Amino acid sequence: MIAGLVVSPRARPAMAVRFGVPLASLIVALAVGALVLLAVGSDPVEAYRTMYDASLSGSAPIERTLTYATPLILTGLAAAVAFRMRTYNIGAEGQLFAGAIAGSWVALILPADLPSPLMLVLMLGGGLVAGALWAALAAVPKAFLGTDEIITTLMLNFVALALMNYLIFGSLSFWRDPRRPVPQGKKIPDAAELPLMSGRLHAGFAIAVVAAVQLWWLLRSTTFGFRLRTIGDSHRAARYAGIGVPVATLIVMSISGGLAGLAGAIEISGVTKSLEPRALAIELGYTGIVIAAVARLNPLGVVPVAVLLAAISTSGSSLQTVGVQVEVVVLLQGLIFLAVTAGEFFVTNRISRRPTATRPAPPSAPAPASVADVDEPSAGLEPMTASPTARTAP
Amino acid sequence: MTDPRPVSLQIRDLCKSFYGVPAVDGVDFDLVGGEIHGLLGENGAGKSTLCSVLAGLYRPDSGQVVIDGQEVHLRSPDDAASHGIGMVYQHFRLVDSFTVAENIMLGNAATLGRKARRTVDERVQLIAAEYGLDVTPWAPVWQLSVGERQRVEILKQLYRGARILILDEPTAVLAAHEADRLFEALRLMVAKGHAVVLVSHKMQEILGHTDRVTVLRAGRNAGAGRTDAMTPAALAAMMFGSAAAIDPTSTSSAISSPGATVLALDRVSATGDHGRTAVDDVTLEVHRGEIVGVAGVAGNGQRELHEAIAGLRPVGSGTLVIDGTDCTNAGPKARHRAGLAYVPEDRLGTGLASGLTIEHNIALRSFDRPPHSRLGRLSPKNMRATAAGLVRAFDVRGTRDGMPVSFMSGGNLQKAILARELTEHHEVIVAAAPTRGLDIAAAETIRGHLRRERDGGRGVLLFSEDLSEVLDLSDVVLVMFKGCIVGRFAKADVDLETIGLLMTGAEAVAM
Repeated sequence: MIAGLVVSPRARPAMAVRFGVPLASLIVALAVGALVLLAVGSDPVEAYRTMYDASLSGSAPIERTLTYATPLILTGLAAAVAFRMRTYNIGAEGQLFAGAIAGSWVALILPADLPSPLMLVLMLGGGLVAGALWAALAAVPKAFLGTDEIITTLMLNFVALALMNYLIFGSLSFWRDPRRPVPQGKKIPDAAELPLMSGRLHAGFAIAVVAAVQLWWLLRSTTFGFRLRTIGDSHRAARYAGIGVPVATLIVMSISGGLAGLAGAIEISGVTKSLEPRALAIELGYTGIVIAAVARLNPLGVVPVAVLLAAISTSGSSLQTVGVQVEVVVLLQGLIFLAVTAGEFFVTNRISRRPTATRPAPPSAPAPASVADVDEPSAGLEPMTASPTARTAP
Repeated sequence: MTDPRPVSLQIRDLCKSFYGVPAVDGVDFDLVGGEIHGLLGENGAGKSTLCSVLAGLYRPDSGQVVIDGQEVHLRSPDDAASHGIGMVYQHFRLVDSFTVAENIMLGNAATLGRKARRTVDERVQLIAAEYGLDVTPWAPVWQLSVGERQRVEILKQLYRGARILILDEPTAVLAAHEADRLFEALRLMVAKGHAVVLVSHKMQEILGHTDRVTVLRAGRNAGAGRTDAMTPAALAAMMFGSAAAIDPTSTSSAISSPGATVLALDRVSATGDHGRTAVDDVTLEVHRGEIVGVAGVAGNGQRELHEAIAGLRPVGSGTLVIDGTDCTNAGPKARHRAGLAYVPEDRLGTGLASGLTIEHNIALRSFDRPPHSRLGRLSPKNMRATAAGLVRAFDVRGTRDGMPVSFMSGGNLQKAILARELTEHHEVIVAAAPTRGLDIAAAETIRGHLRRERDGGRGVLLFSEDLSEVLDLSDVVLVMFKGCIVGRFAKADVDLETIGLLMTGAEAVAM
């Protein structure tokens, strides 16, 4: 550690800090990555250009990136909304499978000649409801008995995965295509396929972006969002204000599960066209947790973070074509995420030189105007003492 | 392992202040091996600061600590331990999933490895038998009762060679028979030349189980001597000072006779966090135009009582009526609507959501109705306007746009809570420790608000550990001890000595 430096929390990070720090983190990660690439004998410039070309240059790579980002945005939102209330739903994975199973069931059971918009509404709605119900399996015991949702939602992921595998690989279920010898899902009718917006990008991306904006608005501008933010900050303050925590838990878990279920139905409708366990079980739900964390649980932040992660993932495979080993690709991906996540520390904390005065002014409040301003030290007021949020470098 | 020489400790003219406020101000203290020495004083008298200096947690600003004739400087808890000082805190510092022996040897690198452990087990059993502190060395701590855990804490200190044992409110958590066992063990210890400091504000305990007693008041020595020469009345007088401490000019109610009842509790009981009855059959009334003050030593059910009134803790039995509305089973919101304003004990976390802005916190009670929201949609503009108006009216300082309230100082936090609670419709204010930790100016502002509420014809129920504050503000003083209201005094006939005796549970002895 460096002597003479004091770390204190920022009361309110400036815009320049909020956007500048993640950008700087990205540059640092790419610089470190360049050293790694040099060390293994690859040309960093060529590698980065290949990555860029494969994910972000031209319409086809961009469409591929955004298609991959679509379910990640939704699972990212699912985690963000729950985590904002400090309800740790890590079951987006299983809720996505539930949504995929239900969505494909609705598409297959309805008459194939139904008008496409109606078909899509029913199918995606079915996925959403199934995801919410799957989440409710954990939410109801959480709300009324206080069971730990981290455990229950995680366990339900394995149940949902096993169920989906059983429907395709383990049985001659309604979902399985009986005409094919190898286990495969029945193809959904054409009317149940999401329309394409541009090239290969389906309309599910637009749905995900709209969901992000809606959720942002819900959290920021409604009384429900007010309740949720209060509970997320302090259960006791929420109870003091007369906010019912169990009901809010049920609603938030339903929204969270619904978003993940919607992601599952959209994947069926827009990408796989049938219940395809191997194409769905690629940890979209767990990745959503990482995305939500990097986006600081802000729904609007989830979109760019999901796109960045999708770009890194889609470009990764292209790197192998220029001779970069797969391990190095994974390492590069990890570096970028590590840097962006670690950069968060500098967004929420200020590093300054140790002041020479024995009593420094509060880090962000205006200089004390009178005695009334500087009485009992509350969290964050006093960067030099044992306040829980302030640390001093030795 | 016990040093045969009786240990001795002297403290001379010890001073320690925090942010310029002296907590201990020139205290002398004497301790010799072979005695149980009671340290008595009300909350904030300086007992825990004195003990923390001895435990090596705080360094004194000035003064001397002399052990066995040698001046020592206790720079850390390790330092204190090496001089034979061991502290047993009220809140145990044990690792639940570790065994008794593991807890005892925690931080002792020489005891790693299986063979060493067996030795530890044996030594623990040996010491335990020597002092009658029977525990099973290999039992995990989470399986133990509170009394057993306390024995583990004491054993831990003895194992480390403590000759001076400081116990902070050791019986606060114990049942009566466990307390008796504890004192038997302490007697055995002093018989072997150890010294025990018993920090307490229970007078019976001090009178029944100590050899000498030192009384602190407001950070200074208020008296000391042999326990058998003390009477409860004398100790109470030392603890709380003379009646002259009451300011005779302090305002009293503008309304000569109290008005209608705004808060009525009839035989209310409530359970504490550990399942024990914390509020026992409490009946009280608050009328318009009066401040009812509840005096009592912390931990006698005050917190549970005001939480039960606020709806944060279920009312076990009895009835609770707020301004004519039966609220016994109502939630916090219904009680608020019935006319209750509540200033909770912990400002950040209950009274305010610490990570959210002042606008959010000001709207905490009213966010779901106009003007702060309409049809479920918030109006940030109106919320900001309300907050800005109240920040000005209540002189809340140090707020900034978008800043979490946790960055504000204690006085401003309390003003923000009052701003919200006193602006909403209310007929009765329940205020818990409203001035705790505030500087004099901020505390006086808060007290002024409470007086104005009273003079405006509302009822106030004040909980405070600061007896002089209760006496200064209240028209009626209630005394709470072990979950019961044990005394009721009108302002005119407040008898400080009797209140002191009631607060410390010594009334039975006195009568």
